[in-house]
Amino acid sequence: MIITGSAIMVRSGTDKSVERKLEAFPQVTFHGKSNSGTDLIVNFECGDQEELESLCRTIRDSIPEIVDIGHIYVNFEDEIEKIKGGLS
Amino acid sequence: MDLTRREMIKMSAAGFAAAALNISLPTTSAANEEIVVDKWIKGTCRFCGTGCGIYAGVRNGQLAGIRGNPQAVTNFGFLCVKGFKGYISMYHPDRLKFPMMRGADDKFHKVSWDDALNKVANKFKELQEKFGKDSVAFYGSGQCMTEESYTFNKLWKGGFRSNMVEGNPRLCMASAVGGYITTFGTDEPAGSYADIEKARTIFIVGSNMAECHPILFRRVARHKLQNPDNVNIMVCEPRLTPTARIADVWLPADPGTDLAVFHCMARELIKNNWTDAWYINNLCRFSTGAQDVDFKAYVDFLEQFTPEAVEKITRCPAGNIKEAARLFGSHGPSMSLWTMGLNQRTRGVWANNLIHNLHLISGNICKEGADSFSITGQPNACGGVRETGSLCQLLPGTRSVTDAAARADVEKSWKLPPGTIDPKPGFHTMEMFAKLGAENDQTKPLKAMLTSTTNPAQSLPNAPKYFKGMKEGFLVVLDIFPTRTTQLADVILPAAFIYEKGGVYGCSERRSQLTQKCVDPPGEAKSDVWIAAQIAKRMGMERLIPWNGDDPQIAYQMAWDDYRECVKLTEHSLYGMTYDRLKQLEAGLQWPCPDEKSPGTARRYVRGYDPIMNMPEIVKVPSSALIYFYGDKKHEGKANVLLRPYKGAEEPPDKDYPFFLTTGRVIEQWHTGTMTMRVAEIARSKPNAYLEIHPSDAKEYGIKEGDMVKIASRRGFNILPARVVKNSLPGILFVPWFDQEWDRMINRVTIDAFDEGSKQPEFKICAVKIEKLGEPKDVSDMYIISDPNAPFPEKV
Repeated sequence: MIITGSAIMVRSGTDKSVERKLEAFPQVTFHGKSNSGTDLIVNFECGDQEELESLCRTIRDSIPEIVDIGHIYVNFEDEIEKIKGGLS
Repeated sequence: MDLTRREMIKMSAAGFAAAALNISLPTTSAANEEIVVDKWIKGTCRFCGTGCGIYAGVRNGQLAGIRGNPQAVTNFGFLCVKGFKGYISMYHPDRLKFPMMRGADDKFHKVSWDDALNKVANKFKELQEKFGKDSVAFYGSGQCMTEESYTFNKLWKGGFRSNMVEGNPRLCMASAVGGYITTFGTDEPAGSYADIEKARTIFIVGSNMAECHPILFRRVARHKLQNPDNVNIMVCEPRLTPTARIADVWLPADPGTDLAVFHCMARELIKNNWTDAWYINNLCRFSTGAQDVDFKAYVDFLEQFTPEAVEKITRCPAGNIKEAARLFGSHGPSMSLWTMGLNQRTRGVWANNLIHNLHLISGNICKEGADSFSITGQPNACGGVRETGSLCQLLPGTRSVTDAAARADVEKSWKLPPGTIDPKPGFHTMEMFAKLGAENDQTKPLKAMLTSTTNPAQSLPNAPKYFKGMKEGFLVVLDIFPTRTTQLADVILPAAFIYEKGGVYGCSERRSQLTQKCVDPPGEAKSDVWIAAQIAKRMGMERLIPWNGDDPQIAYQMAWDDYRECVKLTEHSLYGMTYDRLKQLEAGLQWPCPDEKSPGTARRYVRGYDPIMNMPEIVKVPSSALIYFYGDKKHEGKANVLLRPYKGAEEPPDKDYPFFLTTGRVIEQWHTGTMTMRVAEIARSKPNAYLEIHPSDAKEYGIKEGDMVKIASRRGFNILPARVVKNSLPGILFVPWFDQEWDRMINRVTIDAFDEGSKQPEFKICAVKIEKLGEPKDVSDMYIISDPNAPFPEKV
């Protein structure tokens, strides 16, 4: 399980619309946004990094108001156990 | 993971992200970061040369998470996929955990550290006695910590009295060094990353930043998005890369022809009066390299580079060049950023000079938002190798071994008798590997080599030419995983990963940052400094390298302090960067930083910013000078605008080999893939190398997506699946170089011709032919070398 703390950069004035569209993705938890409304703070929860990349691609493709998705924190403690056990 | 812990991690993660962007989130205030990890330790990312600040989370003695450091002024908290995931490779079961020596059966066998180190020290001594001090070489890396490169460099140049010291930055940054030194008299950029957000025109040359330096590219892209009508991006690059896609102006020149584009831009700047007379009159010296000339001679020289003539040479549309010059000269401040596309060339130094020319004649340097800025490829190519002088012609402080005063200063610092340091440069990288060989081979003066944190058997251009020397010479390899190079070694020494030892990295903007040790290395793996110091001790050089204790934090600090002292009175002084300061400061410090009160230097050569301007004990600068290029060897404070003639690639396409081949990185993989290919998700996303080909070329050769294609040069061939893409101009093929699998190791194909000035090879350009071999085949095998005893694929 990977959990991120991420920022979604959106075009000015589109924050509410993007928030609504993000509700379609259960792997995304919305926490808040900047005063300008151009940066949304979210978690992504995914099985692994590949799934995270795929999810971000899907979100970008389906919500054109999004300019960029950047990750600031990634917790991967479960993955360490997997890789040490040769499962990764 | 139970729900409570999961929720806590989620809130903590969101809280960190919000803090990075100065956003207040009431929902995360309940998160208790203490229960997420045991401690967070400040450090630096070990991929690319951006120098992203990170915090490594440690739980139960192992890494559990990485977060970007919001206070780091390099990345402001953001990290890329390699930054987040690359660390996981340190827990991979393939880690080298104990020393090994090759036995009589030609297999590696586990030995004790004592046996391995005694073997290495005794063999080095024996070879030096028999063949001379220069018979043993060190080949390091821009990924070694600064303390490591410094220690090996000191051992060789001060202890062995040999300048046979090189490192893989010769393969990636040497032309940038040559460019800065021939233009400004001293290495590394004047400005900082902070100029990105102040620039109105950003000129990206020979750099796919979006994939190779994604966090810096994020800064560029964000600046553009926030100022869409006021900021212009120009990209000069033969492929329509993800970087070029955001460009307002794309300059798609054929590989190796862009010198003509840069001269043409200079001509346009002058013709349209987009120049700065004060800079030209006060800060520029016009020179052919052999003799000084006047401004008129420069103007006359440029006259041959009309936009129309240059379009014929380069295929770059004349209108695009004119527009690029207009934006550069009239819509400043302008900042140029470049990497390997400019450097990995037989004309790499010249290409660097010509970018500097544009900045000098238009007054786009030494001002906010204006700089001529080389981005380095590796995390410590600047700090570790260029600045410590760990190349064959350099001494610490990027001083020349041929400079008697510099030698005397270093000898004094190292407490060595005058005359100890050899004034003759050693062999550069390509010469070093060409001259490495067996003891009974009289044509090979180098008999042994110690490599650290690099994989030359895969990363050298035209690599097969050098396998025999590596196999027949006495080769000692320090690394964390088995590689193509360990397959050719005699002794393998298991090294520690950055978070298992700590140390300083210096990134592209002259910024040094300290990483502290987080966890213990696996098995018997040891830090490079310990290994170097133990070899020194066994060779009777304990006084020269006294930091041979078992605690890496003490040993690294001792090495750092020795280095600070050694470069104290140089233009590159970082004497004020004590470990204590580097521990306390979130973003490290930029040199020059000559004393402990210095805040570091964001902009060199400018009075009020650069402390060296007021330090006559280092350089004498007239008190009236506001901007002064104090590296000028003629002591006039000027930079050289160089009239470099046009010259193309060493091996342009011809009727037998009709395509350009260019090589490079992809976002997921790092260099030869030894780390990133061991992170399963990364490996799955880019499991194998491939050949990018334009649809018109594919059609001509009957090649469809996925077909297997043989690509051959005059030196070797690869067999790769085709990707039919419109990214490149017709006639240009691209192959990434991370793949270790024999048929897909593209450096079996590349050319080892090198720049006469910088000695950097022309990885980016050679002539090839192609042939369709068959239908699509699944080659997504994510190949890695797991067993040190796996046989080398070719008889050497």
